[in-house]
Amino acid sequence: MKKFFEVNDATFSSNKEHNIRKINFNISKRGEIICLLGPSGVGKTTILRTIAGLERLKSGEIWLSGQLISSTNVSINPEKRKIALSFQDNCLFPHKNVLENITVGLQKENTRNFLYSPNEILKIFQLEKIKNKFPHEVSSGEAQRVSLARSLISSPDLLLLDEPFSNIDPILKEELQKSIKDILKKTGTSAIIVTHDPNEAFYLADKCGIIINNSLEQFDTPYNIYHFPGTLNVVNFLKRGTLVNVRILSKTQLKHHYLGIINGKFGCSNLNPFNVGNSVKLLIQPEDLHHDDNSKLKLKIIDRKFRGTNFIYTLTTPKKELIPVLVESHHQHFHEKNEEFGIKTPINIDHLVCFEKN
Amino acid sequence: MKYPNHFLDTNKTLYAFVFVIAIFSIIPLFSIIINSTTLNYSYIESSGLFEFFKNSLIILFWVIILTSFFGVFSAYLITFYNFPGVSFFRYALILSFAIPPYIFGYSLSAFFENYGIGYSFFTNFFKLDDANSFLPNLTPITNCILSLSFTLYGYIYLLSKTSFLNQSGNLVDLGKSLGFNSFKKFTNIIIPSARPAIFIGISLVSMETLADFGTVSYFGVSTFTTEIYNSWFIFDDLKTSNFLSLFLLIFVLIFFIIEKISRKNSKFHKLKNDSKNKRLQLNGFSALAAFLFCFSLFFISFIFPFSQMIFWSYKFPEYYKNLNLIRLNLNTFTLILFTSFFIIIFSFIVNFGNRALKSKFLNLISTLSISGYAIPGIIISVSIISFISLMSNLFDVNLKSIFIGTFYGLIIGYFFRFYSISYNSIKSDYLKINYSIDESAYLLGFNKFKTFSEIHWPIMKKNTFFIFVLISIEITKELPITLILRPFNFDTFSTKAYHFASQDLIEAASIPSMFLIFWASILILISFKSFFDDEK
Repeated sequence: MKKFFEVNDATFSSNKEHNIRKINFNISKRGEIICLLGPSGVGKTTILRTIAGLERLKSGEIWLSGQLISSTNVSINPEKRKIALSFQDNCLFPHKNVLENITVGLQKENTRNFLYSPNEILKIFQLEKIKNKFPHEVSSGEAQRVSLARSLISSPDLLLLDEPFSNIDPILKEELQKSIKDILKKTGTSAIIVTHDPNEAFYLADKCGIIINNSLEQFDTPYNIYHFPGTLNVVNFLKRGTLVNVRILSKTQLKHHYLGIINGKFGCSNLNPFNVGNSVKLLIQPEDLHHDDNSKLKLKIIDRKFRGTNFIYTLTTPKKELIPVLVESHHQHFHEKNEEFGIKTPINIDHLVCFEKN
Repeated sequence: MKYPNHFLDTNKTLYAFVFVIAIFSIIPLFSIIINSTTLNYSYIESSGLFEFFKNSLIILFWVIILTSFFGVFSAYLITFYNFPGVSFFRYALILSFAIPPYIFGYSLSAFFENYGIGYSFFTNFFKLDDANSFLPNLTPITNCILSLSFTLYGYIYLLSKTSFLNQSGNLVDLGKSLGFNSFKKFTNIIIPSARPAIFIGISLVSMETLADFGTVSYFGVSTFTTEIYNSWFIFDDLKTSNFLSLFLLIFVLIFFIIEKISRKNSKFHKLKNDSKNKRLQLNGFSALAAFLFCFSLFFISFIFPFSQMIFWSYKFPEYYKNLNLIRLNLNTFTLILFTSFFIIIFSFIVNFGNRALKSKFLNLISTLSISGYAIPGIIISVSIISFISLMSNLFDVNLKSIFIGTFYGLIIGYFFRFYSISYNSIKSDYLKINYSIDESAYLLGFNKFKTFSEIHWPIMKKNTFFIFVLISIEITKELPITLILRPFNFDTFSTKAYHFASQDLIEAASIPSMFLIFWASILILISFKSFFDDEK
């Protein structure tokens, strides 16, 4: 069965030197939200612009609601696609005030009826007080909210958002993320959101795509991406934990030269073939190991980071392997640098994520 | 299922329009090159190529020196110092744009001639016995240099002033902390930072000087433009005329290229407005000297020629009989309306097309097409005549009766000459509109026409009026194209003034000259604010 939106074997290109090759992803049904994550300059914006029809697709196909909208030979005009794009930079019409800028979105032909009135949208985006101001009179954060509201009110089949919260202050950002997610779900509007903030992506998305080194490294649910990163590139991009050398003892046990036996379940099939006795790299994330002051297994603290609700201690093994451990900030005492730090044994890790050594 | 490709299909009409307009605009350039392949050396030898080459260079050299001094120094005083009348002079000095060099020339010659205005003035007011021996006897070349310098310095004044105002106050403060005095600050900091802007001004002055026909022809100085005119008009030798045009064009293009490079560099020299320069208060002798300098400049460049024209118009009312003033006004306004309409419409089409289509080829030919402002009016006239002759012969159709000595031909001539004013202004307006605004419009369902009418036009319409005013000022002052391409018995203020002045009837020339200055000044005054928009 055809998906609601599909990108098949697509190569995106913003210039001759830079291509993002052979990308496949989809939105299975209306209302689903996709986030594209990746470092700056990797070409995430190019993907959005191509889907919107502002750039040519180099190869492959893009389908929306069963209609081919882009391929090597086909390119439907941007104004005829039922797609809206909210740009990262300010692209408000300078001669129209905030309210007029938003209601321009209502002029688009062949759009579905939108469930919210302009006044409701102004309220949701907290723009009532500035509705009569012109773009040069508002802050960049406010301009970004206007741009978001305008795209949303045009009631597209597919909404593309390029770093939609980059200029918005953190407190308002959380509130807006919730509102937008609610609106998208209520109106059954699908969205592709480009961001470099994993937390934003994990909150908003039904599925995430990680783009690194000109290719889509992983496309999966936020839970799976977080807990079962598919490649070393994804691990490095998300900066989740460190890799240590271990040996496979069985389908549920690994052995580390200093930590000893590690129990758990293999959650993904990064190892192919899976051979008992092989040496592999195990991903240890901060929440995998637990602190125990009374444990005999001790590691030396080399750094401590305060993260509000918790501390992350960076420990080192005698072979200089670095291991992060998360401890709640309400733990009864602090541990200082160079102190010995106890690790609870036996070690049980929910899902073991291993990679081939080479 | 196949869908139209919007990059190739729906924009074909727009592409065709832009292509045709851009190609049409480069006809003068094309025509001169095609028609200058054969040359009548005997005429060149007899007329003395080096004589008029030398004259052109002498005039150019001194005009550059004088306009740079007048323009840069007045802009420096007005930007960095406070003295009596500074706010008035800041605006008043641009009124020199209302005076065409040839009309200034009429005033100058009438003032310094034997028993002229100067003689009467000194005899009546200072009771001098022999005022003629007291007044300097100016050579024709000196008259040309003075006329051109006092009417063209405005370019350098405006550009330098904008550049000075955009200079960072920190830079001047740095000079103070290094112990620089005012002179050293001026030469080591202020001038080097404004150099690209000054170069642009000098290039524009140079192009205007080389293109001048009215002044040099009135004073009988042999230069490129007079020789082009003579070879065609007197000797009926279009080939020589074309060859000289090509030669002059190469010369002018050097300044055109300098101007382009300077414009690019000026972006790098423009400093962020982190702090504004504070104006220094001048007192005593310095304040008086600054006031006198600006007053003299304003007086000589504007009051002197204008008052003289008013005085003669008042003193010799009998010359009104020879003029049909309603007809002259009507002719000028008709030309302004028709030309501006076509120029502005075509400039919008080409600029919008370039923006929407993003075609490198169209961009290239559009850039070539704006070379018109570097091509002197006299060359444009010759090139139109040559081109029409060529086409008439090629297709065996009498195009001459349609385009030569007709209203249409005149409009086309103006189009070639002034198209770049409109094209460049609209282009710079478009550069200020972020391209993602267009893309947002497309994504909100706007087609190209709607994007233009509902997004671009509302943003740019205010400046379009300023473009209209600029074109109007130029058309009101224009002489050689009108002189050569006008229909029989069709006159404007400039041709009428030239007609009388060339017969030594300066008093009669004063009435059309006065009207010309009056209208040009009105046009400048109604768009005053726009002249200073760059300062914001």
